[in-house]
Amino acid sequence: MQTGQFQPSKSVIRVSPFEGYTSYAPYTCTQCAEGWCMTACPVGAIQINVAGAKDVIDDTCVGCKLCTIACPYGTMFYDGDTQKAYKCNLCGGAPACASACPTQAITFEEAETADWIGDFAAERTARVLTLEPR
Amino acid sequence: MPARHLIVGGGTAGLNTIRTIREEERMRGLDASEITLVAAERPYSRMVLPYYLWGTISESHVYTAPPAALTAWKVKALVGRKAKALDTAARTLTLDDDATVEYDDCLIATGSRAAKAPIPGADGPGVHCFWTLDEAKEVVATIAPGSRVVMIGAGFIAFTILNAILARGARLTIVEVAPRILPRMVDDACAGIVQRWLEDHDVAVRVGATVTKIEQAGGRRKLSFKKGEPITADLVIMATGIRTNLEWLQGSGVQTASEAPGGIPVDDHLRSNVHSVYAAGDVARGRNLITGTDEVHAIEPTAQEHGRVVGANMSGRDVAYRGSLLMNIVEVAHLDVASFGQWEDPKAELYTALRAERSEYRKLLFHGGRLTGAVICGPAQAVWTTNDVGMLKGLVYSGVDLSRWKAHLRANPFDVKPAFIASHTTARLLPETVLGRPSQSPSLPQTVAL
Repeated sequence: MQTGQFQPSKSVIRVSPFEGYTSYAPYTCTQCAEGWCMTACPVGAIQINVAGAKDVIDDTCVGCKLCTIACPYGTMFYDGDTQKAYKCNLCGGAPACASACPTQAITFEEAETADWIGDFAAERTARVLTLEPR
Repeated sequence: MPARHLIVGGGTAGLNTIRTIREEERMRGLDASEITLVAAERPYSRMVLPYYLWGTISESHVYTAPPAALTAWKVKALVGRKAKALDTAARTLTLDDDATVEYDDCLIATGSRAAKAPIPGADGPGVHCFWTLDEAKEVVATIAPGSRVVMIGAGFIAFTILNAILARGARLTIVEVAPRILPRMVDDACAGIVQRWLEDHDVAVRVGATVTKIEQAGGRRKLSFKKGEPITADLVIMATGIRTNLEWLQGSGVQTASEAPGGIPVDDHLRSNVHSVYAAGDVARGRNLITGTDEVHAIEPTAQEHGRVVGANMSGRDVAYRGSLLMNIVEVAHLDVASFGQWEDPKAELYTALRAERSEYRKLLFHGGRLTGAVICGPAQAVWTTNDVGMLKGLVYSGVDLSRWKAHLRANPFDVKPAFIASHTTARLLPETVLGRPSQSPSLPQTVAL
């Protein structure tokens, strides 16, 4: 959505595989309270949009990548073609990931920001870790 | 009577302080205080000057607080004026035109300036720094397709403008006195990858090279070296370090550190030894988040966080600062290089992975179960497809316990994502805010009631 392309490598929602690719969980921006990307931007190119999401103003972004190292969640992206940063902006209030998901694994609702896959990932990696050589 | 805040310096730290004061006043329903800004230059972002040189943005894009905005924010802006002397007992600042400004509290955020290495001839024509907007304009006016450019210095600042120089069609040689490039941003192994990458992209690199003199030769510059052949250049850019702008504080009673690079020691509220005087950004010797030692970071994120903490405290809140994380990222010819925290640390446990044929490198540094530093390098395509640069910051910043994941990360330093997610790093980070409240959109309030 954000880059206008059908290109999974540019998606702002990434699906992480666990247990040798037998289970999956999507990971994207939590719209955190600090907004590390937003406060780090030297030209004010990241602002809060009507959906309450931190959103990159393309015309203002210079592509310096400071937001990509300021964001501690790994949910800022850089598009080498446009030389600008991009991120999940909740599609302005109608997230395409939620409407596209055929199994309603992704839903859009008003809630506190939360670590929604930490417990799942911890459980699904525990067994694999015990099998790895130490 | 409203408080009178004096902000000396219109860079990142100073403007973040002003914005935060106005945010706090609005959020808490306080009357607007008096804010005076003393700025030697019209406020702009140094961070984006490389893109102005590149030609991807216009000059108007670099300005951060146009006069109309400063008026809307009710800031009395004394632009083009420099601070001359601070009387901390009388709480008065004297300017270079001998006017005086009274204050209740004051922020010193005068930043730093480029310092040319003491090379004979470095003050001659055609030898530039690239630090201020005026210096950037000089380089923009001089550089042309086919120009031979010599960059003296191969640190972070030099690297931020390499793409712009190449995009302008210049032929570039980098000269570094240290035995390798990027000596204060990455380790030897990473520097080797970057140097080979540059050479593959037609950039000449001379390391361990001491320039002995720069002479004017028929409208060009001739550089002589302690060892090796001289080089002739149309344009020389020197990125050989910075100095803090603190000379004007002599006799003020505000302490500055004697060891290089100087700086004003500050407490966890960014106050100097004088209670009513704060310091922020490149002039502040603040806490390093990882080591706990006080040091000058001279990076944009530190200046921004310092400024916000000062603004909150000036507005009457009591905000302690945890400290700053050293971090840098730079890209040259589509090779991205980033480092976080203590990326060189003889006491740390090191996990490294080098894929020389792909120009990829990773280094993870541990103290026990805690990641305390990281280096990442690779072609842009690979780095931004994987996109775990920010996760490395999150792991270092949060100090989350990775004990269970160390064996996995030792074997797979490129597979950071599952460790980040399954260690509940997100849960650890979510409550973290610099000011103890959600951040606001960066647009300053458009109206400030007085």
